Amino acid sequence: MNRKPHRNTIVVEGAPVLAHTGHAGAQHIIRLHAPQIAQRALPGSFVHLQCDPYLPMRRPISIMRVDAKAGWVEFLYKVVGHGTQLLSQRKIGESLSLLGPIGVPFILHAERPRPLLIGGGVGIPPMVFMADHIRLHHPGFKPLVIMGSEVPFPFQTQPSKIMLPGIPDGVIACMPLLEDWGIASRLASLQAYPGCFDGYVTELARAWLNTLDPSQRQQVEIYSCGPQPMLAAVAKLAAEFALPCQVSLEEYMACAVGGCAGCTVKIQTPEGPYMKRVCVDGPVFDAYQVFGN
Amino acid sequence: MDFATPLVLLSGCVGFGEEYTRVAGFSHHEVGAVCLKGTTLQPRLGNPAHRVFETPAGMLNAIGLQNPGARYVVDKILPTLDFSETRFIANLSGSTVEEYYQVARIFDNSPIDALEINISCPNVKQGGVQFGNDPEMSARVVEVCRKATNKPIITKLSPNQTDIAHNARRCIEAGTDGLAVINTLTGMAIDIEARTPVIGNNQGGLSGPAIKPIALLKTHQVYQMCKPYKVPIIGQGGITTANDAIEFLIAGASGVGIGTALFYNPLVCASINAGIVEYLQRHKLTNVSELIGSLQLHEASAAPCG
Repeated sequence: MNRKPHRNTIVVEGAPVLAHTGHAGAQHIIRLHAPQIAQRALPGSFVHLQCDPYLPMRRPISIMRVDAKAGWVEFLYKVVGHGTQLLSQRKIGESLSLLGPIGVPFILHAERPRPLLIGGGVGIPPMVFMADHIRLHHPGFKPLVIMGSEVPFPFQTQPSKIMLPGIPDGVIACMPLLEDWGIASRLASLQAYPGCFDGYVTELARAWLNTLDPSQRQQVEIYSCGPQPMLAAVAKLAAEFALPCQVSLEEYMACAVGGCAGCTVKIQTPEGPYMKRVCVDGPVFDAYQVFGN
Repeated sequence: MDFATPLVLLSGCVGFGEEYTRVAGFSHHEVGAVCLKGTTLQPRLGNPAHRVFETPAGMLNAIGLQNPGARYVVDKILPTLDFSETRFIANLSGSTVEEYYQVARIFDNSPIDALEINISCPNVKQGGVQFGNDPEMSARVVEVCRKATNKPIITKLSPNQTDIAHNARRCIEAGTDGLAVINTLTGMAIDIEARTPVIGNNQGGLSGPAIKPIALLKTHQVYQMCKPYKVPIIGQGGITTANDAIEFLIAGASGVGIGTALFYNPLVCASINAGIVEYLQRHKLTNVSELIGSLQLHEASAAPCG
């Protein structure tokens, strides 16, 4: 019996850049050749990557897509500081050191085949990964993906052909990739982008939840990643509809393997408060343990 | 006490010993010892976020001694460690001299290989002054720990004081078997938009290559003082390469601590070991011990300033 199942679960991989594109709002999508990480990653997993050979501290970035067969992983990130600024300068063919995949992934439940995925800003990537995972491994599931952004979405939006009850008229913009996968998606923003819901992701989610009958609603579980205030609102919405909810958190990180306890968040448990590490105890947590409600 | 290699994984960087084994290719066999996370008598939740922040050539941390308490560590964690892989060293912290004594007693009755005393903790009975910044308070902590255990004691010295060598001498007189030089330097980073410190605890400990020259000099200063007592030093502070490690050995360290460098590269120990072996071969040395304290100072013209 393996008494130490945690051992050898994370790999260090030198990963050449395969593609790297810039988008509005200082957003970038980078694809790297990292076959071992691509093979092992699950929705919610992240990597700790070196942005530049001369900036040794790594940055945690969540995975947006993987192709285990082709051996690549893809990330969406926004330039917010020195590290991501340097990362944005990496060219095709350059190699980056990746440490991953790290973290407890999102868990799907057979009795809740209507996952509601809510992603905000750079919290969108794990939701895309989750949608891809559902498509490949849970074909009977009927997910809805709601994404919010206050800078232009890092993809060309298009009108969705997938009809959804409860979605306000005119809210038709979707993510083409998800549409191609046959997965319903809708977009929200306060920036009046065409076809997008003019408001918060949680308002759009509430409109959809309100149209479900109680038996359908019992099949919903919420999965979310995004800024802290958005996650708090998502947790509140989940509580309002008595739905289970998993959220992916972020925090400044040093080691990312559980060694330094630098990235902890306070979690409420029946035994009292605990400080849990976002890296290996998370990044996915039960929203009720994080936000109460 | 002998180590299989001169490398020691530093307290606070590797949790309670098993965390880095998550990484494929990492092996405890690469290191002579692993210092476990700072442990107090009662469990502690630690500090609020942010606890870590990158600074030029280094990082700040203020974890706040998050730990499940000494009893839990001894009863629940030590039995899960494989002592055939490396040596494990407990790291003791306390708010009072009595607490250090009690924690040392608990670890004395355990399979732990040695006890490292973290004296860079505020003394709640002395207005929060850190034990380690005062030679007499440092010595007092060592003295009570000495009474509590026959296991080897390593005292981790603070660089945040006027004369580290004097403090080292007092700790040796109080019964320490070894010294760890240095703990982090205190520092701060400010979020200029919010006009608040970035670190939740306001200030934190600075580690990484930024502190290496300071650590190296302190190691040498302590070594010169320790030499007659034959008390070994684990030199530490910003070591990221084999050359860094060799500098510390030449300065007088018998072992070298690896901390922040693991965050850069979790597999760094293998390359540091290989680099040390290559250096020994190139210089026709058979053992690391031949390097220790081999520094040849320049003829010192008394330079009082700068």
